[in-house]
Amino acid sequence: MPEYKPQYYPGNTLPSQNRKKYLDPKYKLQKLRTISDDDLVRIMGHRVPGEAYKSTHPPLEETGEPACPIREIVTPTPGAKAGDRIRYIQFTDSVYFAPVTPYVRAWMYHTRYRGVDVGVLSGRVPLEARERDLEKVAKELVETEIFDSARCGIRGATVHGHALRLDENGLMFDAYRRYLFNKKTGEVDYVKDQIGVPLDKPISVGKPIPETDLRKRTSEFRVDGNAFRDDKELINWMQRIHMLRTIAGFDPEKVKGI
Amino acid sequence: MKKYKDVVDLHDDHGRLVASNIPVAALSPLVNPAIQKIVAYVKQCVAVNLQGVQTALATGEVGGKWSMLRGRSTKVDLVGNAEAVARDLKETLQVKPKDDTEVKVLKEGKNLLVTVPAARLNAGVEYTTSATAVAAGLCHVIIEKFNVDMWDADLVHAAVWGRYPQTMDMLGGNVVSLLSVPQQNEGMGYALRNVLAAHIAMITRKNSMNAAALSSILEQTAHWEMGDAMGNFERFHLLGLAYQGLNADNVVYDIVKENAKTGNLGDCVKSTVKRAIADGVIRPLEKAKSGYTIYTTNDLNKWNAYAAAGLMAGTMVTCGAARAMQHTPSVFIYFNDLLERETGLPAVDFGRVAGTGVEMSFFSHSIYGGGNPAVFNGNHIVTRHSKGFCIPCVAAAVALDAGTTIYTPEKLSGVVGEVLSEVPELREPLKYVNEAAVKIKGEF
Repeated sequence: MPEYKPQYYPGNTLPSQNRKKYLDPKYKLQKLRTISDDDLVRIMGHRVPGEAYKSTHPPLEETGEPACPIREIVTPTPGAKAGDRIRYIQFTDSVYFAPVTPYVRAWMYHTRYRGVDVGVLSGRVPLEARERDLEKVAKELVETEIFDSARCGIRGATVHGHALRLDENGLMFDAYRRYLFNKKTGEVDYVKDQIGVPLDKPISVGKPIPETDLRKRTSEFRVDGNAFRDDKELINWMQRIHMLRTIAGFDPEKVKGI
Repeated sequence: MKKYKDVVDLHDDHGRLVASNIPVAALSPLVNPAIQKIVAYVKQCVAVNLQGVQTALATGEVGGKWSMLRGRSTKVDLVGNAEAVARDLKETLQVKPKDDTEVKVLKEGKNLLVTVPAARLNAGVEYTTSATAVAAGLCHVIIEKFNVDMWDADLVHAAVWGRYPQTMDMLGGNVVSLLSVPQQNEGMGYALRNVLAAHIAMITRKNSMNAAALSSILEQTAHWEMGDAMGNFERFHLLGLAYQGLNADNVVYDIVKENAKTGNLGDCVKSTVKRAIADGVIRPLEKAKSGYTIYTTNDLNKWNAYAAAGLMAGTMVTCGAARAMQHTPSVFIYFNDLLERETGLPAVDFGRVAGTGVEMSFFSHSIYGGGNPAVFNGNHIVTRHSKGFCIPCVAAAVALDAGTTIYTPEKLSGVVGEVLSEVPELREPLKYVNEAAVKIKGEF
């Protein structure tokens, strides 16, 4: 039997290799900044720090569960076990060399985290999970290399700006001005939570990643960076899938050994 | 039906071996007696909300929400006389003595489970015969048994039939069939696909393996009726039903078990690929410059069946871990995305499940209205595109939900799910279909 090694993503250009890296849960995402648990809770805005988790149903231990062989073997996440509400964190990623593209976010969430619900829209990627599970995941998403304080935004509403030019400080446009560039510290401060409700005090999410560094970390294809058309291997893969889907739709028996 | 060489090992909902080397053709809706019985029950069985009729008559609240005839009231004790009503209704419906007519009293007279004799359906061309026969029969029984006068007979009609015939279906009525009226089917052969995932979860009493099986049976059987499972596509559906819905070769259960404690959706993708390689379904074709291996297959239908089983397992692990149903569309898109990127082979239903997931995620996450996954079915405008591979996963996910939705499956399904769960073949389809396949295995 041929040996199987998970491979995650085809392609031999830098963005492809970065995609592969981010999708591989064995690759430890590099930590670039520290955000306290309470500050993260404030930015998400679902509860006040220290407040108990609200629930959508009683804990599973109290309600009991219907007789189901899958429930018997699949362990619920801590949030599901406690009956937590399902809450979200949502990101907008700039088209200007942000570390991850929306689709890469979705793929990596599913290869790295358990029991998460993610969707990709034109300018935003919501991640939904049981509240305490979400907070754990969100920490990694904001503290590591896949987040840049200037070109990624934590935005619950009025998310557009991903395709607009950066401002004079290199920040992605945000109609709600949830975050500002602090000239004294050189860091980006959140002054509103993800929905746009003003915070009591600014929360720093660190310095923007320098452009040269971002270009190394990005998983975005751009004509002024690594053009998609330059990744022949990826294009071949894509054309292959398109061809096979089409042939299979006509007659699955015709796909043999190709 | 063509002859197929495929054989599978049958397993129960707990992953225990039931029988080995059973021809997959024995699971075809065209020959499997249990599947045919299930389809017959779906056509013949009707739920009656006797308590609902009684309340409607007493209050004049008939024909759905915000619809009340003030000053109209007829007091009849239907629940207290349920046994007698059932007896008379049976006599009314029976074609011959001792035929297959059955009227069962449930929940201390609040509900009835009525099996309309096949002879009545055979005498017509529409499956609606069951609902119309029961509704009309019940009206006659109530009027005669409780001496309802001519001036109140219309209220009885409205309490039983709802707003029909002003509406296309029996809106607000108290006689409910699992099948919707034909006018509500999206196209030819869609009848068996027009069943809410909520009903399936409730009928199988939230056993997700049986929910998957029942939904897959209805969805895939419909594809024979729709004209999809013909010629070169028949084996595609046959294997899809066997592996995704009926846990053939224990692929679904094995992948769930492997990832039950700590696994995620990505792990289920890897388990699927690993299993397909181990069983010789796919093999490496060539290596690209980056070291990426492209896989190929000599049997795309079998690969599709394995991928569909992996999709089911991925749903069960993801929605099972979160004990929430809302993850299904996300699973549809990204399981398939990841699987295609892992292998270089088309994923479930050759891209149609991923596409369906995109639409379903919009319509199940409140941006454009819609509803939670429990209201979806294979006839739904955004989920009809997959050839029977999406809704079984939705039904399983609904069964695994611990109560995260405003509109719960219990509320959405009403009496139908609860009443039809009394039919063993509908409640535990996996068991009965497996047993039937073993019985007829010699015919192939």
